[in-house]
Amino acid sequence: MAPKRAANAPSAPSSSTSATASTTTLSSGPKALSANSSVSDIAIHVWQQYLTTTPQRTLLLDAFMAFLVLVGGVQFAYCVSAGNYPFNAFLSGFCAAVGQFVLTASLRMQTSSTEGSSGKSSGSKAGKVVSRGESGKEAEGPSHERAFADYIFGSLILHFFCINFIN
Amino acid sequence: MRWCPSLMLFGFLAAVNALSSSGNRLLVVLEDAAEKGLYSTLWGDLEARGYNLIFDSPKNEQLSLFELGDRAYDHVLVLPPKSKGFGPSLSPKNLVDFINSDGNVLLALSGKSTTPSAISSLLLEFDIHLPTDRSSIAVDHFNYDTISASEKHDVLVLERPDKLRPDTKDFFGGEGVLAIPSASPHTLGDTSLLAPILRASTTAYSYNPKEDAGSVEDVFATGSQLALVSALQARNSARFTLLGSVESLQDKWFSATVKTPGGKEVKTANQEFAKQLTAWTFKETGVLNVGKIEHHLAKDDLTVEDLNPTIYRVKNETVFSIEISEYAYDKYIPFEVPANDALQLEFTMLSPFHRLNLTPVKQTENSTIFGTQFTVPDQHGIFSFRVNYKRPFLTNIEEKHEVTVRHYAHNEYPRSWKISGGWVWIAGLWSVIGGFLAFVVVWLYSAPTSAEGQRKQTQ
Repeated sequence: MAPKRAANAPSAPSSSTSATASTTTLSSGPKALSANSSVSDIAIHVWQQYLTTTPQRTLLLDAFMAFLVLVGGVQFAYCVSAGNYPFNAFLSGFCAAVGQFVLTASLRMQTSSTEGSSGKSSGSKAGKVVSRGESGKEAEGPSHERAFADYIFGSLILHFFCINFIN
Repeated sequence: MRWCPSLMLFGFLAAVNALSSSGNRLLVVLEDAAEKGLYSTLWGDLEARGYNLIFDSPKNEQLSLFELGDRAYDHVLVLPPKSKGFGPSLSPKNLVDFINSDGNVLLALSGKSTTPSAISSLLLEFDIHLPTDRSSIAVDHFNYDTISASEKHDVLVLERPDKLRPDTKDFFGGEGVLAIPSASPHTLGDTSLLAPILRASTTAYSYNPKEDAGSVEDVFATGSQLALVSALQARNSARFTLLGSVESLQDKWFSATVKTPGGKEVKTANQEFAKQLTAWTFKETGVLNVGKIEHHLAKDDLTVEDLNPTIYRVKNETVFSIEISEYAYDKYIPFEVPANDALQLEFTMLSPFHRLNLTPVKQTENSTIFGTQFTVPDQHGIFSFRVNYKRPFLTNIEEKHEVTVRHYAHNEYPRSWKISGGWVWIAGLWSVIGGFLAFVVVWLYSAPTSAEGQRKQTQ
């Protein structure tokens, strides 16, 4: 009971703050969770929260990464079940999925932080993030355009290599 | 057809040399010219078969097996000497040199006279052992001729020899019996080059008539240990035959009638056997000749350039063929591998990667073409096609043809889509690429909101 209470204690103010933030910024957002909601409610709430608060580009990135995980998983399952006879084909197909996933993940890291901050611009906590992100962006972080160009360049190299390797 | 000229050359040589496949100069070493008449049928037979007989006495100082370092004769028939030895021209060393330079020797001994020690030492070089007293004869109390040797039992009556082994050719068989009078028996060592042609029957034993009857107690050898006629074929296929009984070649025994105890009177087959024996020794029979050897890739439209390439690739389907003919008395006939035996091809690099039976694929008028097809092993290097066929009574075949086996060139591997097992991964790769392109397009179309929001924020 003690850890649960300990977990509940800090979650209560945070949920209230996020609830206030969501109610203030997004009128169509999900209703606030009470202190003793069920697990499914929490999951649904998190999912709804994710869908409503995540920017479109990040959602797109996540959907593409899920697709890559699916493609890679299917290829690996096929290798396990049917054998790895043209091994270079397996390596090439599987590594293409993994490599694309890694590249996409790095693109998400470079673009989502500032975007997330812009999405939650009016929150007090988010406001700090914005100021920090803007200062970091001007100091060292690459712009989204630059990150996207790097991503395309890396992906093309990966595809070139994989197509050649699969012969 | 590069082998046509060589066949024509063979025909030409055969016409010049009449019968034997290796020349017709036959030296007959005969000490006593008066004895020549005893063998007149044999001389007649040999001359009828195209030999040029040169009679000479071992005592002749001019006699030499070599002239200007080359063989002066193709074959030598040595009859047993009356005196102690043959003299310097027929020393064991000279006879061995003669065999080493492809000459054939038929050496006849007799139990009636003591064999010279020089001959005994020559035979020891070939791992043929004579009785230590060198004057023993083979005696058999069950299979002797009752007409001529009812007392001494020293004329052995034997069946014509059968095949040496089930997988060898029969060069000495036939109907009838052989009369072997006063034979000097010998035993054979363990050399694979030696092969007995005629062995004594199981009831025979070696006996020295000059000693007391007590010497029977410790006999030299008994039964079929005793060989009466033996052959040695050297590594260069030169032939040396030892005949224990020179009397069996005499006219008297060519046409004699013999009768074993309890048997019927039959005519001897000595003349036929003498013909077979001299024909084999002087290379009229059992001589194999290799014609063209071809190897190429297994494909239908072959041109001349495709024959006998110097390089193959691993896993090539390869066809090998070898043409072999056998000399039989006066012509080449198609060679047939004896039943239970196999002519084999080895594809070797240090050790054989393939050892395959060659099967007859085609038969021409005077040769058989043996062939086989196989896949080159998955190993690159310097390989050789080898045919190594060494059998008793047949001349040796040892052929070796080197080829290079290379690995796959990089553009000889099958493309990925040829292998259906890889289609799933190819589809995976292209779906990743397709997904990437779709993602890029959607990303570019979904740009503005955040950027505008950010711009608003900064303003």
